[in-house]
Amino acid sequence: MRKLSRSVFFIVLLLLSIAPAMAQDTVNLVWYVGLGTGGAPEQREVQEQVVADWNAANPDIQVEIVIVDNAVAVETLATLIATGEAPDIVGPVGNAGSAAFAGNFLDIEPHLETLGYDAYAEFPAEAVDFYRTSEGLIGLPLANFPAFLFYRPGLFDEAGLDYPPSAYGDPYMLEGEEVEWNIDTMSTVAQILTVDENGFDATEDEFDASGIIQWGFVNQWAGAGAMRQNATLHGAGSLIDADGNAQFPDNWRDAFQWFHDAQWSGYFMPNAAQEGSDLLAAGNPFASGNVAMAQSHLWYTCCLEDTEWDAAALPSYNGEITARLHADTFRILNSTENPEAAVEFLTFLVGEASLDLLSVYGGMPARPDDQQAFFDGLDERYTQGVNWDVVRDSLNYPDVPSHEEPLPNNNKANDRLDSFLSLLRSEESVDVQAEIDLLIADLQAIYDE
Amino acid sequence: MQQAIPPPTEGTQRTKTKTKGSNDLIKQQRMWGWFFLSPWIIGFLAFTIVPMIASLVFSFMEFNLARPDEIQWIGLDNYRNLFNDPLFGVSLAVTFRFAIISLPIGMILPIAIAALMNSEYLIGKRFFRTLFYMPYIVPIVSAVYIWQGMLGTETGWLNRVLEWWFGVEGPRWLDSTTWIYPALVIMGLWGIGNAYLITLASMQGVPTQLYEAAKVDGATALRRFYSITLPMISPVVFFNLILSVIGLLRYFEVPFILKSGTGQPGQSTLFYNIHFYKTTFVFLDMGYGSTLAWVLFAITMVLTILLFATARYWVYYASEENVF
Repeated sequence: MRKLSRSVFFIVLLLLSIAPAMAQDTVNLVWYVGLGTGGAPEQREVQEQVVADWNAANPDIQVEIVIVDNAVAVETLATLIATGEAPDIVGPVGNAGSAAFAGNFLDIEPHLETLGYDAYAEFPAEAVDFYRTSEGLIGLPLANFPAFLFYRPGLFDEAGLDYPPSAYGDPYMLEGEEVEWNIDTMSTVAQILTVDENGFDATEDEFDASGIIQWGFVNQWAGAGAMRQNATLHGAGSLIDADGNAQFPDNWRDAFQWFHDAQWSGYFMPNAAQEGSDLLAAGNPFASGNVAMAQSHLWYTCCLEDTEWDAAALPSYNGEITARLHADTFRILNSTENPEAAVEFLTFLVGEASLDLLSVYGGMPARPDDQQAFFDGLDERYTQGVNWDVVRDSLNYPDVPSHEEPLPNNNKANDRLDSFLSLLRSEESVDVQAEIDLLIADLQAIYDE
Repeated sequence: MQQAIPPPTEGTQRTKTKTKGSNDLIKQQRMWGWFFLSPWIIGFLAFTIVPMIASLVFSFMEFNLARPDEIQWIGLDNYRNLFNDPLFGVSLAVTFRFAIISLPIGMILPIAIAALMNSEYLIGKRFFRTLFYMPYIVPIVSAVYIWQGMLGTETGWLNRVLEWWFGVEGPRWLDSTTWIYPALVIMGLWGIGNAYLITLASMQGVPTQLYEAAKVDGATALRRFYSITLPMISPVVFFNLILSVIGLLRYFEVPFILKSGTGQPGQSTLFYNIHFYKTTFVFLDMGYGSTLAWVLFAITMVLTILLFATARYWVYYASEENVF
């Protein structure tokens, strides 16, 4: 009996001593989901299947997926990083969602070279270069979400107006005259489409601004965390100069003056109180059916339940068109102990697994060859025949630099931008230019902290 | 002649034995006492004392959760940064601006309601006492959502009533940097139930002989209230004042629920604690967040000490001097 016990003890000891050595043969990776999309039940299922497929095919690189609620994903990841328990790979996430962790991402280029992976052979060059930052190449393209103009043809018909141009560069017919489709034209059209409860539009003297029941234009879901989204119709810009100081481009000064006037003197864009009302579906104005035009991204097709809309070209400003761009992908944290395995898994996610993932993420594939299947899927949902060509063409006018570029002290800087935006949306008697001057001073102090 | 010392009696021995037994029992009781207190003590140490000490240490450190590599000791830099942080001044100004509006109302109204409820002429006292206290028991989250519906610009009940009955277009209560403060004060009225109840209990404890004597002397109702009721309830008023000041300095839940912690519209609801919350949990700056927390503690402490220093001039304690 005593001999048996001793034998069992030695066997256990032996197993314990060789277990770490056996485990060392297998690389374990953690994939962290939650900073962007990926938390919905149908998304979880597909992501878990992707991981199961990978693990089955790659016994030497085992992946564990951790899905965190989006509301707490930033704090949770920050805590994991601070405690030395950082995951290896995070995403899908856009520039804005990952900006809080700028400086923590791995330059994957050397590891791609080691793997013999040619990113430029897989994706368009602009799409790859979109992920080049001061940290190096921090991602590979997965999904693009260009912005375009959503509009409701029925409301244009009611007003006797032509539809917005279906292709970039086309003119617009306003009151029988061919005019350039620019910000001014769009503003005029939006005013005609803004109607009060007595049926008068915003260009008429009898118009009652306190009783508006239909608005001409809205920047859909461009509120919290998205101040800069409201400026890009007037061109791209950056709030930081080459020396790292705060700046506010002149075209954006025009943009926010226009933004304020559109709400408080043109009345064609809902203010904060109006947008939060039941009439505008409590913050989802275009979906309410009471807004004629909206600038939003392709991701908005996730949440439109009706088929009474179409896509059109965004207007130009000073002859230039800008269609802001959102793009989601996966990023690898530079704290990973297994960069090469992580990069290998990354190439799987944006490669073999991408179509499965994009089917639940709802993004336009970065690979041109995969795009048609994506739009075919959308056509099944939106049977009215949406002009997807103009959506594709929007990719030709991205905002460079991106409106989502990280700022110094990024979260705090963005928070200050949000309060500026909300002021413009809440107060009629605001000196916009003076507020911009104040904003620049505050941003400089925030950058300097 | 020297008297011989008598040998210890049986009784003395019993007393010694009993004393020793009592000490053992006391020791045992103490041990059990500590044992039963230990869950609270452990909790207090783990969740209050240790975090407090940790936050004090953090306040001298560069400590951002997203940049663990940069954690370092920086001495008083976080405290110096208070003067460069544009949101620190804004958040203090917002808090004190709201306090100036809210504090007088929050102090006077409970006294007025308590006086009304204490009036001998009021019919249905029990009903009204319950009615005025009831909003206090509504959970704060529910209360904010209810008020959000009532104060909505376009579809809120209050603005609809203003429009239908008076033909007046109501203000943008929750979306205006000016009207948000009256809106918050109105919401806060639901929280005065406790202060009113304590004040009422205090009023009911004022000796009736004082009123009777004053009546005989020809004092009016207003004079009786000013010269008898107010001095007699002043300790409770002082207690409510201290709680109100502390409550205002830690004002957080309502603006957080109402505006999702954004501090909007503009920066009008960027109360000190919202700024502290954002710095710590949104900007992930644990070091500077801890500094803000300790500064708030210092401000609260100073204001409380100042209030206590003024108490001797206006708070009347019946036990310390003769009434007449």
